Amino acid sequence: MDPNNNCLTVSEAADGTISVVGDIDMAGGPLLEAAIEQREAALGTTSSGDIVLDLEAVHFIDSSGLRSLLTAARRAGHRHSALTLHAVGPEIIRLLEITGTLDQFTIASRRD
Amino acid sequence: MTELANPPVTEVGPVYLELPPLSSMSRVARLTATGVAALAGFTVDELEDINVLVSEVMVALVEHGAQERISVTLEVTTDGFTVSGTTALADFDLHHPDLALCRTVLAAVSTSHGIEATTAGPVIWATLQPRRA
Repeated sequence: MDPNNNCLTVSEAADGTISVVGDIDMAGGPLLEAAIEQREAALGTTSSGDIVLDLEAVHFIDSSGLRSLLTAARRAGHRHSALTLHAVGPEIIRLLEITGTLDQFTIASRRD
Repeated sequence: MTELANPPVTEVGPVYLELPPLSSMSRVARLTATGVAALAGFTVDELEDINVLVSEVMVALVEHGAQERISVTLEVTTDGFTVSGTTALADFDLHHPDLALCRTVLAAVSTSHGIEATTAGPVIWATLQPRRA
């Protein structure tokens, strides 16, 4: 049995947006990183397309999950693109503000 | 409309958890902590903070531990909710760069916290006082 099963699920829409459902924590972070890397591979090394995450169904993130997002954001920066976050909840915004990392991401939209 | 005051929290615990050093156990610790804190009368907003604190304690012990079992204590006293965790590791690196984010979050969310090295292993704790008179 996969001990990380069901903590986080990711799916990719036709436009490449990665929808995330669950907790971005120690268990979920690596799963999200893998999905982002897969999207990066699809974009190719020369593409400057943004990685877009839909966080509508994410209600918890910790510092471990944040490190996963920061890693992806830095890689996007190296490709001269961005990690764009949609439907970012207040609990995520709060963690980004606490850690001073809000400016590392493009926040396309927020939710209450 | 008159806002109802939240009742004071009641003492609960201590509750002891012995967890394998798996990342998925963070969720187990959070769920248990939420149950303990809800039983004591913490508000929904406070439960969210407690979730964060427990998760950060688990991050420090799982990611920086030696793959030994993790002991977590959850308790509500007159001082508030306290989570404390430890694992067997003599040479815990208190200054590991990856702990910086963890420290920042603990400092911002908790009323008080500590990341300490003892001869038996690291002890990481955080307390949240209820936000009421």
